[in-house]
Amino acid sequence: MKMGKTTTIFAAAAIVAVAQITASGALADTNPPLAPLGDPPVPADNPQTPEKIELGKKLFFDPRLGGDASTACVSCHEPSQGWAFGDALSRGYPATVHWRNSQTIVNSAYLGKLFWAGSASSLEKQAKSAASGAVAGNGEAEVMEARLAFIPEYRAAFKQIFGDEWPKLGNAWRAIAAWERTMVQKDTPVDKYLAGDKSALDEQQVRGMKLFNGKANCIECHNGALTTDQRYYNLGVPPAERWEEDGLAQITFRYEQYAKGVTQEMYRKIKDDAGLYYRTKQKSDMGKFRTPTLRYVAYTAPYMHNGAFWDLREVVEFYNAGGGSNDFTDGTMGKNKTSLIKPLGLTDEEMDDLVAFVEAYSGPEIEVKAPKLPPYAPLPVETD
Amino acid sequence: MTFKISTHAKGFVAAAAIASAGLLAWPTTGSFAADDMAFGPVKPLKVDAKKAALGKRLFYDVRLSGDAAISCATCHDPNKGFSDGKPLSALYPGSDGWRNTPSLINTAYKAAWFHDGRVGTNLNDVTRENITETYIMNMDMRLMQERIKQDPVYVKMFKDAGYGEPSNGSVRKALPEFMKTLTSRNAPFDKGTMSVSAQNGFELFKGKAGCAQCHNGPLFSDDKAHNTGVPNNPEIWSNPVRHTTYVAFGLFQGIENIMNIRRDVGAHIRTHKSDGSDIGKFMTPSLRELKYTAPYMHNGMLATLKDVVNFYNRGGGNDVNKDPRIKPLGLSSEERADLVAFLEALSGDPLTGPDYVWKDKIPLEYPAIENWRDARN
Repeated sequence: MKMGKTTTIFAAAAIVAVAQITASGALADTNPPLAPLGDPPVPADNPQTPEKIELGKKLFFDPRLGGDASTACVSCHEPSQGWAFGDALSRGYPATVHWRNSQTIVNSAYLGKLFWAGSASSLEKQAKSAASGAVAGNGEAEVMEARLAFIPEYRAAFKQIFGDEWPKLGNAWRAIAAWERTMVQKDTPVDKYLAGDKSALDEQQVRGMKLFNGKANCIECHNGALTTDQRYYNLGVPPAERWEEDGLAQITFRYEQYAKGVTQEMYRKIKDDAGLYYRTKQKSDMGKFRTPTLRYVAYTAPYMHNGAFWDLREVVEFYNAGGGSNDFTDGTMGKNKTSLIKPLGLTDEEMDDLVAFVEAYSGPEIEVKAPKLPPYAPLPVETD
Repeated sequence: MTFKISTHAKGFVAAAAIASAGLLAWPTTGSFAADDMAFGPVKPLKVDAKKAALGKRLFYDVRLSGDAAISCATCHDPNKGFSDGKPLSALYPGSDGWRNTPSLINTAYKAAWFHDGRVGTNLNDVTRENITETYIMNMDMRLMQERIKQDPVYVKMFKDAGYGEPSNGSVRKALPEFMKTLTSRNAPFDKGTMSVSAQNGFELFKGKAGCAQCHNGPLFSDDKAHNTGVPNNPEIWSNPVRHTTYVAFGLFQGIENIMNIRRDVGAHIRTHKSDGSDIGKFMTPSLRELKYTAPYMHNGMLATLKDVVNFYNRGGGNDVNKDPRIKPLGLSSEERADLVAFLEALSGDPLTGPDYVWKDKIPLEYPAIENWRDARN
């Protein structure tokens, strides 16, 4: 059994062991079944309070937590675009484009690791990392922290919530994470159906669910209440087209190689996103990305780590064809395509059924009124 | 009154200039007579034309800032003596300045840079500091390198300049090479064409007014930090974005009690004297090209040269750390006018021609590399 080097990385989760066994094909029935979603976990060191959640919402929308005060969290996680970004590659900081597809924040509270290659281990760390990346928020800690001190409403809120004499930037990420933990959707038609309301799904959707659990074998990775095993696979998703056509995207692509510390030789040759490899530096991890949740996907097109597919039907067709190929599957830089991906032999109607079922994992669109952002004010001189 | 500059001080200035400029423009040995005190002229530096031309394009290219909003020339405008004409610099979007933009003319001769002298090595480091500093150009130089590699004009210019492939390191060499071209030319003082009034002013400068105690050498600067009691600029503290930027700087620099102080500590960040006696010291600026670089002082608090002369005539400002040499001078209005005439005679030809300004349009867009899949990155 292939309990290799990568296993240690995920050793914390018992579910991983199950998935490993499943990967070997020996115990295919042990995939955690689809289930209604419960409440998200809340870390013991960042309890939810109404005041913290309210502060976090404002900070999420506040562009002053970014380099030139133009780019907030919400800039790449747009409410009207599924709390993600509706282009293949995320918007990125002004004068840049990002190199990966922006993921929705909806239900991100349940994920053990954030970002496509799992490089952040909590929402708190994800927020910090996104706000500072050169092609994301491009903010510097001292500048962002100093700005918070000049917004009287924030000063009062940080003091009340965290006891900060002056707002601490780390607590800004805590507040944002607390708000994100409220951005959950757990009453979708599928949740209702799985909880016993058999009228919640129509016949086509029920047929799709059977295919999901059976012939199409989506359940192999998209399993459990969150519809993800949170493991990493290379499916042969093709590289982003934009890298071939757009100078700005080529810049960011090379920058990411440079910033992530690949070898000089690899920097010269690489033409696709090596995914998990950047974290582990194991060749066997090249081109692997974390299984995303299927919840809320009706609103988050395009799909895959680089937005390769524009609608869910295209995604299903990709799987039906047995996935695709990329530099890390075709031998150019590796042969890492997962053996779990095989041609499925689905009919057109079956593919429609699958799409209908997956869409039932999205409830109503989550709308949030953008908060009014508190203004700067001069800092009164302390009298002593 | 006359005074001598000690050989020690001469040696310091000369050694520092060697260290900073690499090429020396005035004698390192020999007499430094009290009557000439080795004032000017500033001799041009040897520059590599191709490297300097590359540096010139980089200087005017907004893509060297994080969001492509500003270039070096945004604050160092050739039409304003490579400063910006504002009391306080504008800096990067989302931030705002708390100091006056220093002129870059003759910057290659300096021993230490920024008003607090916090970079005392070379222009290579100054370049890095300005490009990467979050409130100045906020540029990740790795991203900058990849931007430059995407511009065929740069690829060719780097190659022609002998740098090979564009890199961060070469940017940090090419920009200083361009800055070495920014030297004073044809000031009346250097040409010997000063008016009688200016000549009288020079005598006062060396004598009664005592200016030359700090303003000496070819740049009229001792490259040291002093406290002259320049008043605080209240705009820094009433404008929350400027104050925010200063606080961010203070957090970087480890300035004590940064949230509560309402003054620019200046060179204290270099020397960190525990008694605070170095608070409020700022580097002696060069007096060359002042005609183009108003307003004056580290925080732009004095609008004209007349204001500056009046300020010193009054004995500077009020500051517990004020240098004891700053005392009321008792200059008559005619003497003050002579001093101003002398200061004006230290400004030469404006550096606004094609040697100093990149005239071609620099595109904001980047062409795609064709055959990308087969090209080496």
